[in-house]
Amino acid sequence: MQIYLPIAELSMNLFFLIGIGGAVGFLSGLFGVGGGFLLTPLLIFSGVPAPVAVASVTGQVAAASTSGALSYYRRGGIDLHLALYLILASTIGAMAGVATFSLLRAAGQLDLFISLSYLILLGFVGTLMMAEAVRAILRRRRGIVMREKLPSQHTWMHGLPMRIRFKKSRLYISVLPVLAIGVFIGFVGALLGVGGGFILVPALVYLLRVPGNVVIGTSLLQVVAMMCVTMVLQALTSQSVDILLAFCLMVGGTVGAQFGASAGKYLRGDQLRALLALLVLAVAIRFGLTLVLPPSDPFSMAIMTAGGAS
Amino acid sequence: MKRLALALALALLASPVGAERLAQIVSSRNVQITSSFDGATLSLFGTIEADTPGVALTGPYNVIVIVTGPLQDRVARLKTNRLGIWTNTDQVQFKQFPSFYSVLSSGRLELIAEPTLLAEDSILPEDQARLAAQSVGLKGEMFGAELVRLMTQEGHFSLNEDGVHFLSDTAYMGQVTLPSDVANGPFIAHTLVLKDKQLVAEGSQGFSVRKTGFENFVFVAARQYPLLYGIVCVILALGTGWLAGVAFKR
Repeated sequence: MQIYLPIAELSMNLFFLIGIGGAVGFLSGLFGVGGGFLLTPLLIFSGVPAPVAVASVTGQVAAASTSGALSYYRRGGIDLHLALYLILASTIGAMAGVATFSLLRAAGQLDLFISLSYLILLGFVGTLMMAEAVRAILRRRRGIVMREKLPSQHTWMHGLPMRIRFKKSRLYISVLPVLAIGVFIGFVGALLGVGGGFILVPALVYLLRVPGNVVIGTSLLQVVAMMCVTMVLQALTSQSVDILLAFCLMVGGTVGAQFGASAGKYLRGDQLRALLALLVLAVAIRFGLTLVLPPSDPFSMAIMTAGGAS
Repeated sequence: MKRLALALALALLASPVGAERLAQIVSSRNVQITSSFDGATLSLFGTIEADTPGVALTGPYNVIVIVTGPLQDRVARLKTNRLGIWTNTDQVQFKQFPSFYSVLSSGRLELIAEPTLLAEDSILPEDQARLAAQSVGLKGEMFGAELVRLMTQEGHFSLNEDGVHFLSDTAYMGQVTLPSDVANGPFIAHTLVLKDKQLVAEGSQGFSVRKTGFENFVFVAARQYPLLYGIVCVILALGTGWLAGVAFKR
């Protein structure tokens, strides 16, 4: 059944949209990430114009993360204090990201930039996550009980000024790395149409040493807030948020996320992280190949709009 | 003007036998895009009549119909391998290039029309690219040909030399298919009637493609009230997420 998308100005199969929304939603529920890094490339690949895909996926990521964030909130798995700092910083980052997005569109290098960014970002994060998860799994196999990272354990970040106590996370750290992470996530998220959960979760775990029981909940809340801000910014600047496209993806995504979340209970944390790392690496390789392999068609075309070529 | 002068000259030359007149109609003057829109097929009908009643027309006639969509600025880009990475390295812009261009004819163009006529009216899709190209010479030609190829692949451009059928000696019919991602706006069906490879009559008929109902409402809202539209999107996203959370709560 075809459905006409008024902003994208093309018609797509309704079940296809709900289907990919659901599949990505399942993964997002399983891993506690928004799933934008899978959905945006999928949509672009299916023929949705890149600006519309990037802008509309924010809706799906926000919706899929909302149900997750709510259930973590009920369980007390969110550090609201920490989330507030991250949200404020990421709002600033998102504004810069949306502005940069328009500039790149005008320069005609949006494709290259998106591919390169995905490759570098996902490749880097994926490799780190994979290495860590494999180490953890091997350690567990050998029967070594890994000592929980204690809040008192110091990294160089704990030497920075402006320290703040985050009670729920049992952290007493400088606010600077928190803000830096927030700005970076906001910038990347708005630019690439991703929630940034796949960067935020490792950043919170490895850089800030946020304990495992609040990491995913806090990350989800931050993703919801940031995606809402980005959606409004995109609606204002590029006017390319397709509410119908977003809604189809949301319906599939939220349902899929519920099943993903229940499936996640049967897997250990390190196994989950290894699987997520595999997924992230797969997407990175996919983007790497488009850069390295000769394209099936060296020529491409785009419509020039007032803001530049899409 | 040139075309008009030519038509006038031909009309004068042919006056003793009787000049031709064209009456044509498009099956839909207003193509409406609704939620289930998945492209549309329009029929174009026309009859060739004698300008002065009672004069018998002598054929055979041939017809070329050119359907042109709203104009857009486009860019064609070429990827080349630079330092091992395939990236866009060259591009040519095409200003005021048709978003849709379909040529239907009752026979092979070179058999039914003089080459000068084809060139003068820029009938071939490649001519449209040549007119719009912002780069002259070989580069403009090459990118233009590639742009036409890409547009043809996506169903926006077509050249159908068997697209017009004569129902009688003087009545014809043709069909044009609009793809599902057709641009919104005014379209023109321009018809040329040919006899002995020469233009004897021509006419234009416009039609429009536009969103209606909910689709139009969404489009207008996104353009005119972007802040409100964005906030509605946010509420929808949060509401959907919340609803799913409640529905699946165990």
